[in-house]
Amino acid sequence: MTLLLQTALLSRRRLLETLRQPIWVFMGLSVPLLYLALFAPLLTSLAGGPGFPTGGVLDVFVPGILALMAFGAGMGAGWIVIGELDTGVIERLRVTPASRLALVLGTVVRDVITFAVPAVIVLCVALPFGFHSHWGGLGLLVVLMTLLTAACSAGSAALGITLQQIGSLAAVVTGLQLPLTLLSGVLLPLSLGPGWLQGIGHANPMYYAVEAARQLAAGTVATGTVALGFGVTAAAALLAIWWATRAYRRAMA
Amino acid sequence: MTAAAAATETPGAERAQAWAVRATALRKKFPSRGGGVEALRGVDLSIGAGEIYGFLGPNGAGKTTTLRILTTLLPADSGEAVVAGVDVRRHPAEVRHRIGYVGQLGGADREATGRENLLLQGRLYGMSRTDTERRAGELIELLELSAFSQRIVRSYSGGQRRRLEVALGIMHRPEVLFLDEPTLGLDPQNRANLWAQLRGLRDAGTTILLTTHYLDEADQLSDRLAIIDHGRVVAEGTPLELKQRYPAEVIIIPKPGTAELGSLATDLECDPQVSRVHIDDGALRIQVPDPTAGLAAVIDRLRAGGVGVLRVSLQEPSLDDVFLHETGRSLRDAGDPAAAEAA
Repeated sequence: MTLLLQTALLSRRRLLETLRQPIWVFMGLSVPLLYLALFAPLLTSLAGGPGFPTGGVLDVFVPGILALMAFGAGMGAGWIVIGELDTGVIERLRVTPASRLALVLGTVVRDVITFAVPAVIVLCVALPFGFHSHWGGLGLLVVLMTLLTAACSAGSAALGITLQQIGSLAAVVTGLQLPLTLLSGVLLPLSLGPGWLQGIGHANPMYYAVEAARQLAAGTVATGTVALGFGVTAAAALLAIWWATRAYRRAMA
Repeated sequence: MTAAAAATETPGAERAQAWAVRATALRKKFPSRGGGVEALRGVDLSIGAGEIYGFLGPNGAGKTTTLRILTTLLPADSGEAVVAGVDVRRHPAEVRHRIGYVGQLGGADREATGRENLLLQGRLYGMSRTDTERRAGELIELLELSAFSQRIVRSYSGGQRRRLEVALGIMHRPEVLFLDEPTLGLDPQNRANLWAQLRGLRDAGTTILLTTHYLDEADQLSDRLAIIDHGRVVAEGTPLELKQRYPAEVIIIPKPGTAELGSLATDLECDPQVSRVHIDDGALRIQVPDPTAGLAAVIDRLRAGGVGVLRVSLQEPSLDDVFLHETGRSLRDAGDPAAAEAA
């Protein structure tokens, strides 16, 4: 009960912070729309080819874009956390009786919302351009991607507190971004690649989320791939939240 | 309860209540290359309820580390600390309810308004919505925040932000308030205002523990203080008690052409009011344990000896003298940037 109240209070504070910087709201939306407008057309000639079984390129491409959005929405958390280490905000909050889990979840909830709102807009925009809607699948797809956002958000916050320096965090996150996203097949499905590439992909937790997302977008819900995607992503989210809570408990400016 | 039991239990209970903070043998070592830094080497503290207690020492002495241990931010390696009657190690959550903390960095949320900061703080301490509203209004008045409480904190001046941060620290009416270098970077007027507000809080019953490396702040603001150096408390008492341990100094500059200073010094040293005389750059520096009687005695001797005097001054001992005597260094030179307070 206290945890819920504190999480609500802290995520409200975070949302206010986001709304006061509309530039981030704008950028969060413009990047995926630019992908749709400027990158998706490159794929049209691939329609019907290998890796695009249903024929519509957007059916394959949109889930990948959503995964990229989830990654982006979550990974910003670390920067904010480091800013708050430097201004003493985290220290002040740690002296209050506020639950350390609530301190983590406040940020996670905000990031999930700042992912979900533009994600729904992107889906609506994609529909008239040939993205095939399968409502049940779409709903589950958004839920899966919010789990991915939560994992990234808590993981980034934990990294931020642990590394304490913007420079180190930037190096780690940009270093992770490329392998994590490429090896999950966000832009093009890994099934297009050679066996060794798919092999490495299996070591990447994000790969399972993206694979499951493509099946969900195609309307297939009851498959092992979907279950595995949910399982891996939920486990990653729980692990990251545990890590971040531990980091908050010990945080030092 | 029998009379005998009451007699044995009550004094103990009273004593436990009278201490707002008690720490015994606190030790803390920070790991580092070279074997680790011993930040605290056995700190003992007893702070009475309702006093302003100053913690004076150079950078790196262990002030912040002690404060962090007492406020549950950092576990001690060994030793015990009881704050507001609650054991810090065993019941940190309970301690957090009873204390307020204003860190060196402040910790106000820069992207929210002052009022929003206060409201969130109150709610996180479990205060009801109405109580939070009322208390925020009270503090906005008490600390004179009303002119800017609806503005985003990022736009505040240093003094405005510090006042808000003190308000955040006392939002939930804590029994003990901890402040880490509260006047660092404030101009003299803001500093004086903050002192007045802290005295007001003390008069209303709050125990205040603050760290400082300003001599005048420790001297004028604290009811009692501890001088800490290299992780140990080297002296403890009221500012007056501490200073009275050391003699005042009468400084005499004789008129040019005055006869032998040396024989004058020997003569003065015979006086029972004088403990020590030395000659420094043509001036006589005469240590007198009792400033008033000592000054009178010195003047009598000079008059009797017919010595012409150009200038007389009396230098009362300062906390820097106390620090100098206890550590062999002046506090002004003691800050060692390399051993900056283990952040």
